[in-house]
Amino acid sequence: MRESITNTTTQAEAAPAAAPAPKPKRPKPKSMIMLGEQTNALFENARLAKERGEKVGWSASIFPQEIAETLGLNILYPENHSAGIAARHQADPFLQECEGSLGYSNDLCAYAKVNLAYASVLNGESEVELPDGGKMVKPDFLLLTNNICNQLTKWYENLARQMNIPIFFIDTCYNPFDYVTETRVRYVRAQIDQLIQDLCAFTGKTWDEERFKEVMKISQRNSYLWERANNLMDHKPAPIGGFELFNYMSAMVCNRGKTSSTAVLEQLNAEIEENIKKGTSTFPVEEQYRISWDGIACWPYLSHNLRTLKKYGINMVASSYGKAWAIEYEDLDGMARAYCFASTNGDNATTMISRRMEALKKFDCEGTIYHVNRSCKVMDCQMMEVQRQLSRQAGVPFTSFDGDQADYRNYSEAQFETRIQGLVEVMQQNKEAKNNG
Amino acid sequence: MYTFGIDIGSTSSKAVILENGQKLAACQVVPLGTGTVGPDQVRDQVLSEAGLKLEDMSYTVATGYGRMNCDGADEQVSELSCHARGIHFLLPQVRTIIDIGGQDAKAIQINERGQLVAFQMNDKCAAGTGRFLDVMAKVLNVGIDQLGPLSLQSKHPVSISNTCTVFAESEVISQLSSNVPMEDIAAGIHNSVAKRVAGMAMRLGRPTTLAMSGGVALNVGVVSAMEREMGCPVQVHPMCQLAGAIGAAVLAWEKLKKEGQF
Amino acid sequence: MADLNQNLALLKAACENPKARLDYYLSQGKKVIGCFPPYTPEELVHASGMVPMGLWGGHAELKLVKSYLPAFACPIMQSNMELALNGAYEGLSAVIIPAMCDTLRCMTQNWRFGVTSIPMIPIVYPQNRTSPASVDYLISEYETVLTMLSTITGNMMNEKALCESIDVYNEHHALMREFDRLANDHLDVIDPKVRHAVHKSAFFYEKSEHNAILREIVEELKKLPIHRWAGKKVVLAGITCEPDELLDIFAENRIAVVADDLAQESRQYRTDTPAKGGGGLKRLALQWNDRYGCSMIHELGKPRGEMLVKLCRENGAQGVISCMMKFCDPEEYDQPYYEADLRKADYPYVAIDIDQQNASYEQIRTRVETFCEML
Repeated sequence: MRESITNTTTQAEAAPAAAPAPKPKRPKPKSMIMLGEQTNALFENARLAKERGEKVGWSASIFPQEIAETLGLNILYPENHSAGIAARHQADPFLQECEGSLGYSNDLCAYAKVNLAYASVLNGESEVELPDGGKMVKPDFLLLTNNICNQLTKWYENLARQMNIPIFFIDTCYNPFDYVTETRVRYVRAQIDQLIQDLCAFTGKTWDEERFKEVMKISQRNSYLWERANNLMDHKPAPIGGFELFNYMSAMVCNRGKTSSTAVLEQLNAEIEENIKKGTSTFPVEEQYRISWDGIACWPYLSHNLRTLKKYGINMVASSYGKAWAIEYEDLDGMARAYCFASTNGDNATTMISRRMEALKKFDCEGTIYHVNRSCKVMDCQMMEVQRQLSRQAGVPFTSFDGDQADYRNYSEAQFETRIQGLVEVMQQNKEAKNNG
Repeated sequence: MYTFGIDIGSTSSKAVILENGQKLAACQVVPLGTGTVGPDQVRDQVLSEAGLKLEDMSYTVATGYGRMNCDGADEQVSELSCHARGIHFLLPQVRTIIDIGGQDAKAIQINERGQLVAFQMNDKCAAGTGRFLDVMAKVLNVGIDQLGPLSLQSKHPVSISNTCTVFAESEVISQLSSNVPMEDIAAGIHNSVAKRVAGMAMRLGRPTTLAMSGGVALNVGVVSAMEREMGCPVQVHPMCQLAGAIGAAVLAWEKLKKEGQF
Repeated sequence: MADLNQNLALLKAACENPKARLDYYLSQGKKVIGCFPPYTPEELVHASGMVPMGLWGGHAELKLVKSYLPAFACPIMQSNMELALNGAYEGLSAVIIPAMCDTLRCMTQNWRFGVTSIPMIPIVYPQNRTSPASVDYLISEYETVLTMLSTITGNMMNEKALCESIDVYNEHHALMREFDRLANDHLDVIDPKVRHAVHKSAFFYEKSEHNAILREIVEELKKLPIHRWAGKKVVLAGITCEPDELLDIFAENRIAVVADDLAQESRQYRTDTPAKGGGGLKRLALQWNDRYGCSMIHELGKPRGEMLVKLCRENGAQGVISCMMKFCDPEEYDQPYYEADLRKADYPYVAIDIDQQNASYEQIRTRVETFCEML
């Protein structure tokens, strides 16, 4: 039976897995073991901090982690945690509780649904068995940004009222233009300054400018290493199965400012380079087609996705997350600008398209699979136009399928298989046409 | 003193004659609904059974989908209120009622007097209704009456995860072609219905005493699954199909009492 | 009384045929700017000598929009996009779209690429209103809107015009609030359909014209004897409560609407622009900070429940009808909290689904009837 999880719980925007992925026939790579240790440490440290009477927080996935890291605060990530629960097929009782006794609509983001039910248990209002024993300890405060979506704001409003805790909020404002306006930078910077003050007052921590510089350096090194690892996928054949990269996102989201992530990512880069040197790959079959995956992973059905793609030799060599943490800056103003721009969901369609174009070209993708994630209206309500334009501009076909990042009830195996088969037919045609002339 | 309750549904008509607000003088069901001869037929049949005439009825309340087209009714009341009152008449201790019909599902909370306190409805989606079971029974090539008993034979129910009936159908087909035993699939189907309805019902709070009614209440598989999901025993009164008509007759009686008509 | 009925009929007609209002203003040589829900800086449009017109969707058969929006998107956005793609909005010089929820965020891009004949002006309101910097940020958003308006239409505004427009809008809020108060004494005349039409028609009139009509309605209502309503009284919560077929069901059940927390209706009139505090743009930005009780404006503590209880008490309502716009996640997050508050205060409530593409009202009828029996 399925082994417990472990290690990776991934996060947000595209939180990758933490699932008991298809049973590995080969030994787990060292980087994954390190990742597992890191995730365990994250939860354990939070638990210990609480025991010591320190304040622990829950944070949105693309909140400036540098702030909490500089202050030495223990922070956990609900989106990531919910993804893990979904990937381990443990979401059902939480979904039932959320849509049942808690009275929420089933239309809401499934990360929120799972987490609101989990929080209700922590708060003593619901009785659902916590499969992880409650390791996602009850928070004393919340860190919120709305760059990835607006639902986060409502979700956190509810958490705050439910547990009677404060929200430290940075409103990052959607960017309808191709750049982040100075007016946004000023507004966000002012919020950051105030937030740091307020957070210090609330937690009793003090801001250390030197520590901040150190954390920035570590974070940027990690961003560089992450992007580097992703970029190595431009080799043919790709040196690893692309879905594996999703696993490492937990390091990027939950531990981006830590040296433990540097170690994990350096190890990952080394492993990938080793494969390139030997001409091998962890992708289980011969690479026939290179595709980009748009949207988060469909966590509850990762195995089915992989099995189906493997059947046709389809490897995911690009995703929108490769550059998601290309968050480089040198000071707080730069941080303000970077976090407005960081999430592709907070950018306009032109930016979304150009980022994806870049990836399609760089990794020589022959097709795109777009996950119509029922939980994610901020993507689904504009992706049709984005995919249309992208497909036209890049000359690369795409297909979509209905799924969900955490609600296992929104998926059909038959549909996924049919859609992938259709995409393969077009990609094959294109390949033949190219070869013939 | 006799009051008359008639429940004109989409596929059947039910009528009840209540004596002095307490005794059921006669009950009839005709499997023809609104727009047919059903309502007239059931009225004639129930009067005949009681040996009474229409003029003997002091007050008539009509309920159900076709209640607005009932000539001779003194009043029309919604099926939720009538149903609630009817179940209360049959099972006075019950405070929560789950009614799963052919096209919809309802959860009703009542007080000690059988009055409606709160309700939840699923009336837009086939999942969690009799329709879902009909579709799946066809796929399994099993009579709808046999589906429930079949599910009880299961030792290892499979999970039918999709809430969309169309996708769930494809899931069932896929299970069948993988040679999963029919009883396990049937159990999965019943669990799916129960979960869906339980979710809706839990919005009213965890029930203490629970009864089921509606066509699907006759399905032992669903009843059993509901007991598991709701965490409490489920009572199904053999006359629950008449609950709407009974409630209508009770409400008719209460109306007379209020107006001091006797 | 004749004037009253005539005025009410005028407003009803405006709601039934907003296109006629658009054509009317265009024929007068005026420019019209479409304004998406829930809030846009109409005063800026008004001060620039143009007419803001609300785009709240409508009954439309969804075909072309399916290339832009999935089935689980807000019905108002679906209708707006379908109508736009079919050319129903031709004549508008531009539209303003506020990115206040995830779907609205996407609509800025869908419109931008899908409806190229009508330029799109985005505005992103600040959600962290405790930050003093949010005021300057919002002012700069207003200035961007003004620049885009003037570039597209050639129309500009000045400070004097803005202050006058602010006054017109504040007067409008006051008149609408007065109408709501008076309506409760005349529920025989102001039935749910009429009340709704008075509210909604405001989106199809240049505001000072609507003010003039409102003033007359208010005067006429004051002349009538107070009517003691014998039926049920409710408060509505949600985004919109329409169309007329739905409001007819209320009337059939002798349900009167005595107050509302609807985005399309009273939420528009709760908050005036402060008379002091700086220039026009600054004061408009300060108004934003004062807004409350809306699911799309970030507020701590989930205060809507308490607000609804208060509305019920103050207006003698017996319960709340929660008009849940399909797929509206901001409202869906608020619902469990305000329902709990209503339960605690012993006010019954019922939820009905609002969907602009709805064909049948049978289910809503059953729910409303049953709810009525509970009150």
